[in-house]
Amino acid sequence: MTATDMGSAPLTGPVRAPLMRLLRSELRWVLRRPRTQIALGLLALVPVLIGIGIVVSEGPGGSGLLTQVAGNGLVLPIAALSISLALLLPLAVTMAAADALAGESAHGTLRGLLLAPVSRTRLVLVKAVGVLAVAMAAVAAVTVLGIVTGLVLVGSSGTAHGMLTVSGTEIGPGSALLRVSLAAAWTVGQLAAVGAVALAVSSATEHPLVVLAAVLGGLIVFGVLSTIPALDWLQPVLLTTGWFAITDVLRDPLPLDGLASSSVRAGCYLLIGLALTLARTATREA
Amino acid sequence: MRAGSVTPTATAAPSGHGAPAIRVQGLRKVFGPVVAVSSVDLDVPTGAVLGVLGPNGSGKTTMIRTLLALSRPTSGTVELLGKKVPAAAREVLPHVGALVEGPGFHPFLSGRENLRRCAAAEPLLSTQAIPDAVERALHRVGLADAAGRRYRAYSLGMKQRLGLAAVLLVPRRLVVLDEPTNGLDPAGTREVRRIIAELHAGGATVLVSSHLLTEVEATCTHVAVLDHGSLIAAGPLTALLDGEAPALDVRTPDSAVAVQALRAAGIGAVAGPDGVRVELAGTDPPTVVALLVGAGVAVHEVRRWRTGLDELFAQLTEGNGQ
Repeated sequence: MTATDMGSAPLTGPVRAPLMRLLRSELRWVLRRPRTQIALGLLALVPVLIGIGIVVSEGPGGSGLLTQVAGNGLVLPIAALSISLALLLPLAVTMAAADALAGESAHGTLRGLLLAPVSRTRLVLVKAVGVLAVAMAAVAAVTVLGIVTGLVLVGSSGTAHGMLTVSGTEIGPGSALLRVSLAAAWTVGQLAAVGAVALAVSSATEHPLVVLAAVLGGLIVFGVLSTIPALDWLQPVLLTTGWFAITDVLRDPLPLDGLASSSVRAGCYLLIGLALTLARTATREA
Repeated sequence: MRAGSVTPTATAAPSGHGAPAIRVQGLRKVFGPVVAVSSVDLDVPTGAVLGVLGPNGSGKTTMIRTLLALSRPTSGTVELLGKKVPAAAREVLPHVGALVEGPGFHPFLSGRENLRRCAAAEPLLSTQAIPDAVERALHRVGLADAAGRRYRAYSLGMKQRLGLAAVLLVPRRLVVLDEPTNGLDPAGTREVRRIIAELHAGGATVLVSSHLLTEVEATCTHVAVLDHGSLIAAGPLTALLDGEAPALDVRTPDSAVAVQALRAAGIGAVAGPDGVRVELAGTDPPTVVALLVGAGVAVHEVRRWRTGLDELFAQLTEGNGQ
């Protein structure tokens, strides 16, 4: 191309990069980041530590879900998910969401993406996929290590590699694993809601710490609110209200209403979070 | 030459036809009570290298951010390569390379990986072309040897080079560089000049902002001077160098005779320590020299007196300020 036609030639060529390429690049970036890897590694330790604790303390003792784990290995991943969902899993997901927009903005890399250009709608899509990937990886880490630790360390003394439900019945290994998968999928849904809200905060600031503080602070406030009897009427709107439903997978027959209603609630949070993220990103000055 | 009324297009558009590469009309950007940019009108002809000069806080970066649709103008319009921005930004931006407010990269990735991530988002790069484009860009800015090191470990100059490499990933029609020589040593500064010259030779339009006047003098064909958010001068570099009062320095021992002869002919002249300074308003150098020689003045040396951008810059900003 000579100098002259470079000046006057019409603008040609594609106006956006292939979506799959953007997603691949985002996933590489998210999963290669040292802090993501450390977070995933620490999360994977949770079921291992619980398993060791149970083996060391030998037999029933203490209270709640953990007593169910003794001699009932496949309950371990569910117990580990339930315990991590209180704070650790939301922390991992919020960290990813904080880096996704606020962190990129702080590094000056968000500018680069917008100048490439990546449209703002696509930016939100790509970032949401990245956060979802971290949520899935985190849940997978806890679940897989939970299953392995449960089967190896805790064993299944009472059952033939199946599961003893809290209702007293025994279910086979196949349907036990199915229930573990259900618990994992449900947890991913709840974390997606947390991630969407975190992304919304992330789209409004360039300080990743603000995102962490806002979301984790919010979860703690939700917890406090749910303990105040006078505020019972708030329960249906609090995301954390349905988080006990995960233990429903240990019942026989499986009651679905708790899992379903908490998933619907998570869906609402997800939609609101993404809508706010889109709106804020559309007008963001980078 | 004042108050942005000048359209450089009139004087020196290399291609001479078509829309200017950048056209800004009535641009204004307000942050709360602060007016960052106020009523800027500017045309940059295709193929020009425009230096945007201004002291820190004069609105250079804000103007550039608005040009690139990173920030929305409070009022006014921007056209890049003939398209309205931000409305048609997605059509234009693939052809625009920009380094704004310093390089932005991820510290935990190597230079090469950072560049690959940038390349993945470039619409004009096919997926197969990415590895080659990345290596070529790294080579062009002299980072080929350090490409495998983490960005965290880069020196300020290397970071700046990587930012330039990202601009060079794709052949661009318009390149916008915000203070590209910040943090560079003299060798790095020369490299940047070389890259700007290459881009210019390739027909690209370049906009460089700087608060270093020598930088602009060395690389630019056109200059725009911003102060307190207003464009106080714009035009081809040569026209601005002459300033508003072109003059001639004549070295001669007979300054008294010279001044007398010139004034008699209606030409303004002032005697100096070793000659006279002749105002060129209404006349030209050959006339002056002929007149002096005719009057028997011994002329040792005649030099065009240039204000120099430094002086011009100081004059303009001080005169306009407060």
